[in-house]
Amino acid sequence: MTRILAIAALLLGAVPSAALANEGGGGLISLDKSIVIQMINFGLLLFILIKLLYKPLLAKMEERTQAIRKSLEEAQAARAEAERERSEHAAKLQAAYAEAQAIRATALKEAGEEQRRLLEAARAEATRLVESARSELAQDVRRARQDLRQEVADLATTVAERLIRKSLRDEDHRRIIEDAIGRVDRVS
Amino acid sequence: MRSHEGTARRYAKALFELARDAGEPEAVGRELEQVAAVYAGDARTHEVLTRPWIKPEDRRAVAAAIAQKAGARKLVQDFLGLVADRGRADHLPEIIGAYRLLVDAELGRARAQVRTAVAFTDGEKQHLATRLERALGKRIILEEQVDATLLGGFIAQVGSLILDGSLDGQLARMRQRLARG
Repeated sequence: MTRILAIAALLLGAVPSAALANEGGGGLISLDKSIVIQMINFGLLLFILIKLLYKPLLAKMEERTQAIRKSLEEAQAARAEAERERSEHAAKLQAAYAEAQAIRATALKEAGEEQRRLLEAARAEATRLVESARSELAQDVRRARQDLRQEVADLATTVAERLIRKSLRDEDHRRIIEDAIGRVDRVS
Repeated sequence: MRSHEGTARRYAKALFELARDAGEPEAVGRELEQVAAVYAGDARTHEVLTRPWIKPEDRRAVAAAIAQKAGARKLVQDFLGLVADRGRADHLPEIIGAYRLLVDAELGRARAQVRTAVAFTDGEKQHLATRLERALGKRIILEEQVDATLLGGFIAQVGSLILDGSLDGQLARMRQRLARG
């Protein structure tokens, strides 16, 4: 950069000196030997400009172009990589989502089956309990009826026995014995 | 008691065969019952005849002497002496029962044990015996026992056959019917 500034300062110094040199002539460009010098000067200036300014500038520009291209390529690569990773992540996410959906579906199915099984077991248990309770109830009722019948029978026969014992006279005994003897024939 | 019955049957059968050969099975039976009643009525005699530590020959002598004194014939004296000698005096009730059965079977008759609430009249006894004889085809000897616990009527047993003509039986059957519903 300092070299470029030096060349620019030299040029700025040469232009006024050429203009001053021409001030002694009559027109802007004198077709004399100074033109040769001016041409040499111009050629020299051109050469110097090309050598010191233009080529480094081109090189620099090329370098910057390359750098920009490289950066661009790197950016594109990074973008591609990012895109690939994004796609990969999206695919993974999709797979995970699908897996999660499958797990959820399986879990729902298993939960449904478990619920159905539990429900059936609960229904069976409830039916069994109802049947058992019904059977026990029927048995209790049967037992209670039997007990009641037995009590009624005991009470009735006890009362009958007391009444009979109190009211039996000798002629009753005789009649009962005769009746019983009369039934002996049935044995044969 | 069950082992008594088997032993008693063997003794009764032996006595019965001898008595039958002598042609006096009933008389032997009566005498046997009379002497056995004497044994049972005297506690000391019963003790002498049933105690195992008393010599067999002493038991035999005591039993035979009592039988002789009671007027039993020789066969009965010897039999009771043998029973006492063998230490079977406590089997006498069963022996008498088994002997009765053998005599009854020989004479074609059966005994009817009748439990009754009130005593039978002679007519009732005759009537029942006739009915039982007609039903069973055997001559019947009634053995009546008044049982005050019976409400009314009677229960007769002939061998394994039981005839329940009691009010108690009727009440029991009524109770069963009521209980069955």
